[in-house]
Amino acid sequence: MTAGAPSQLGPTGTGAATARLPGVAVPERRRLRTPPFKRAIFIALILGLSVLFIYPFVWLISASLKPQADVFDNRLIPRDFANNYWGDPTPGAPGDEALFSLPEVPVATWFMNSVWIGVLGALLVTFSSALVAFAFAYFRFPGRNVLFGLVLATMMLPGAVTMIPEYLIWNELSQITGEGGRFAALPDIGVNTQYPLWVPNLFASAFYIFLLRQFFMGIPRDLFDAARIDGDSYFSMFRRIALPLAKPALIVAFVFEMQAKWFDLIRPLIYLRDTDLFTLPLGLKTILDQFGTGGGGESDWQIIMAGTVVAVVPMVILFALFQRAFLEGISTSGRKG
Amino acid sequence: MRLWKLGSLVVVASLAVVVAASIASARVEQGARTLDIYGFGSGFGRGDDVANSLTAHAQRQLGANVEYDNPRGGFNDQAFLTMLASRNVPDVMWVDRPRIATYAARGALQPLTSCIRRERINLRQYRKAALREVTYRGQVYALPAFTNQITILVNPTVARQARVNINDIGTANLRKLQRANRRLLQTDGGRVTRIGFDPKIPEFFPLWVKRFGGNIVSRNGMRAQLNSRQAIAALTYTHGLIRAHGGWDRFKAFRDTHNWFGRTNPISENTIGATPFESFIYNVIANNTPTAPLVPKYFQRRGGRPITMFSGNGWAIPRGARDPDLACKWAKHMTSVPAWVSAARNRLEIRRRQNEAFTGLYTANVRADNFILRRVYDPMGRPQFNRAVRLLYNAPRYAFAVPPSPASFELRQAYIDAINRVLAGQQTPRQALNQAQREAQAAINRNRRR
Amino acid sequence: MATTAVNATRPGPPTRARAWFSRFRERETWFAYAFILPWAFGFVVLTAGPMIASFYFSLTNYGVEQIGGFAETEYVGAENYSRLLDDGKIPLALKNTFIYTGMMVPATMVVALALASILLRIGRAGDFFRTVFYLPQITPPVAVGILILVLFNGSYGVVNRALEALPFIEQGPFWTTDPSWIKPSLAIMSVWAVGGTMVIYLAALRGVPQHLYEAAAMDGASAFRRFKDVTLPMISPALFFTFIILTIAGLNTFTEVYTAYFGAGSTGAEEPEAALMYAIYLFRQAFQFFNMGYAAAMAWLFFVIVMAVTLLNILGTRRFVFYQGAQR
Repeated sequence: MTAGAPSQLGPTGTGAATARLPGVAVPERRRLRTPPFKRAIFIALILGLSVLFIYPFVWLISASLKPQADVFDNRLIPRDFANNYWGDPTPGAPGDEALFSLPEVPVATWFMNSVWIGVLGALLVTFSSALVAFAFAYFRFPGRNVLFGLVLATMMLPGAVTMIPEYLIWNELSQITGEGGRFAALPDIGVNTQYPLWVPNLFASAFYIFLLRQFFMGIPRDLFDAARIDGDSYFSMFRRIALPLAKPALIVAFVFEMQAKWFDLIRPLIYLRDTDLFTLPLGLKTILDQFGTGGGGESDWQIIMAGTVVAVVPMVILFALFQRAFLEGISTSGRKG
Repeated sequence: MRLWKLGSLVVVASLAVVVAASIASARVEQGARTLDIYGFGSGFGRGDDVANSLTAHAQRQLGANVEYDNPRGGFNDQAFLTMLASRNVPDVMWVDRPRIATYAARGALQPLTSCIRRERINLRQYRKAALREVTYRGQVYALPAFTNQITILVNPTVARQARVNINDIGTANLRKLQRANRRLLQTDGGRVTRIGFDPKIPEFFPLWVKRFGGNIVSRNGMRAQLNSRQAIAALTYTHGLIRAHGGWDRFKAFRDTHNWFGRTNPISENTIGATPFESFIYNVIANNTPTAPLVPKYFQRRGGRPITMFSGNGWAIPRGARDPDLACKWAKHMTSVPAWVSAARNRLEIRRRQNEAFTGLYTANVRADNFILRRVYDPMGRPQFNRAVRLLYNAPRYAFAVPPSPASFELRQAYIDAINRVLAGQQTPRQALNQAQREAQAAINRNRRR
Repeated sequence: MATTAVNATRPGPPTRARAWFSRFRERETWFAYAFILPWAFGFVVLTAGPMIASFYFSLTNYGVEQIGGFAETEYVGAENYSRLLDDGKIPLALKNTFIYTGMMVPATMVVALALASILLRIGRAGDFFRTVFYLPQITPPVAVGILILVLFNGSYGVVNRALEALPFIEQGPFWTTDPSWIKPSLAIMSVWAVGGTMVIYLAALRGVPQHLYEAAAMDGASAFRRFKDVTLPMISPALFFTFIILTIAGLNTFTEVYTAYFGAGSTGAEEPEAALMYAIYLFRQAFQFFNMGYAAAMAWLFFVIVMAVTLLNILGTRRFVFYQGAQR
């Protein structure tokens, strides 16, 4: 369960989890004959509900634009745009520092960390899972069913059971590669580096193997056999035929893993100590602890809200770009097979 | 296929990074000794002038041939345990004194016995209560630095408005305090609009137990006493002060809107009558609202004898430190009289320039405190802060500290949870503290065996 | 082929095992194993190995002293497991986790089904609103944790402002401080992120053949009967699946709750027992107190509980699931 820390299974993480669905019927576009006046009622109802669902976003963005004293005034349009933590407004005013220039919280660094770890991790896991999935889909080899059963079984395993020994492995690695260790010449890998966040992605992930295998099985075998006759090696077959044809499924895997990385709090929490190494979720938690009321902060909710916007908006953009991948991923990727 | 190319590019790039990084890290460092400092750099407020002066002094004493690695973050248990686990500990660390015994019991710290002997550190310069906090099984494990004593902050404006005699706002006579609390507080349609007397539980629970004549843990730290008669009485009484506001929920919801660190704080806004607070608050208020009237008072035992609870931090050397000698010298100089005096002079200078009150520097070093009060301190015409300073400099005489225990986290967690259950109305004080006693004692027994 | 040749030259009973092993002589087999190598390595090093190690650690006093190498690792037998029984936080955390899951799962399913049913009836516009309802699902859980604190704040949160606008409510609940309201607010917030489940139901509803409704309507079945006798059975696989997955997700809840209520590193006064979820307590024992042995025992208890609940769920609901068409 390389990408399956408990956090990923949290309620908002159910997106990733529910995509494992092996039993959803094929969507079929059909026009339902609902009388117009009834439809009008439904549309009104849905509009009302939409407001309810969108409101927290609007509230969030608007609060991030307010000075400290106004955060909880619940106005959607801030009374005072000048003193917020986005820009560099009048010096000495309540928000005289911009979010991105607060020295204690290097938000820009965290953002970039999240981006590169997300992209790298998602690329690696997509590629390695595709490789493994292709093997399970195309090759006939002894032990295939048993091994695939094992793949499916690891999907069910709660991350908690492997979390502790995995930490100890990384801890051991950081001792032998750290200062004075036997392999000190190697780069420092292990605890308090970012390697534990993406290296497991080299080793494929059960859910994506399952997802991509379904897709590969849908590719007509004749295509591969023809390529074999043309003298293709197994690997070039995978590269030239399987991968291009599976592009939609690969995008789904990529996008889902990107989202999982963008969401993950527990692994950064376990492995990272230095502020500069943090990813955005851990950074956001740090902002909350530092500026909220709980940790002796000064109730600077406007900073916290601005930080939250920084974490939310990129996902919205990713969603806008890959909406099909997200939705199709959820509803069709687990087509019965 | 573009994706394929991109994939191989990533693999090649990461390999290149690995190779480059290994070449870079292969350069052998040489020359000066390095001191790894951990946990120092928070808790001083903006400016950090005190930290800077102390550091400058210690660095002068240690000489030129030392490099310093101080990552400026606060002490964090999880981070420290990670360092222990990876056998990559700092040389010296700045840590809250209640944590010392717990870490000493786990074998994570070095006793300073030989350090004290070698560097001829005079232990008598440190306050007894502070030194007791860092002593575990007869050995000193840290040199104490700051102290943070608790006094009561009274808002005279509110007292006047509520027609309460300031003498009645105090812990000497609990019945009077109860009455004062009821008059100081204000509610509006069930909503709290002004807090009367905030007893600050669970944070200051040990102080309240002391007020009632008890102790939350035995002197040797091995027996929890959370369900003693005095502890139950303390919790029942303080809970009553909060309940008078209409319940914990309403009380807390209002208190959460308070910002003690801003230009609009509960003293300047008159949204609180009185509350016990750590000493640093005077400095904060002097910074933000230097003209706000406030009356500092001792926390008192029955009958009026002052009492205060010590907390603070100190310098400890973890087991496995690479350069304990240097660490020992550092701890010695950071807590020495000249270090504190230079810090105090520097702060006074800064305050003068800003035309703000200097509210003193409170240390675990008796000699430094005396010197600062007599030779450095200057009231600068701010009577309310001057009174606070006099009070605070006298307070250590009446100070006690929670005895160190091998399970101080768990002890603290146990009473915090118990008090939260009582505040939430889930348990009576007796039930809650009985449970806390069981939890805390089990933890002490477990940790003692290690 | 090479295999048959080998079989022919080697006398002896041609067992299945032999045939099975003989396939290892084929190139295809070796290529296949090369292809699955990344997973196999990961499985051994990051899953199977750690599982065995985790069980071993659960029988020892493994903690920070042992990791750091200044105390011996001792075998303590079942001591960690018996400590699970003495630790009052374990039943508390389990209770919290189950209560939360028990509220979150049905609420999510009902709301998701309601939304999906409405979307189904408004035709093309449904696609737009589907996107709208999906948005909370792509909100990072840490952000959700923060939103819980600000939206549900007892005195100035917008939820209570809305409630107090109603004529009969003078003061809304203190969601984030009152122990009896903490879990309901967490559950409400997770219902906000109902999008994924809704999308699944929408797909399932679109798959229900129209003629079944027409037939039912011709028989004079009421809307409720049509829903009960046609819709529910036809989408039962989706309901079944989301039920299982949501339950597992609920039991694993960590990020939102940790963000909202638990501070980093130190133990503070602001950590309500009512929000202590099992995954959080496990995390703290393992990575904040570094009681690895005890935490490993906790993890195994958790593993057994999650498996048992999942199995019970599957057994308990399977008979209600109706598979349309080809059924294995």
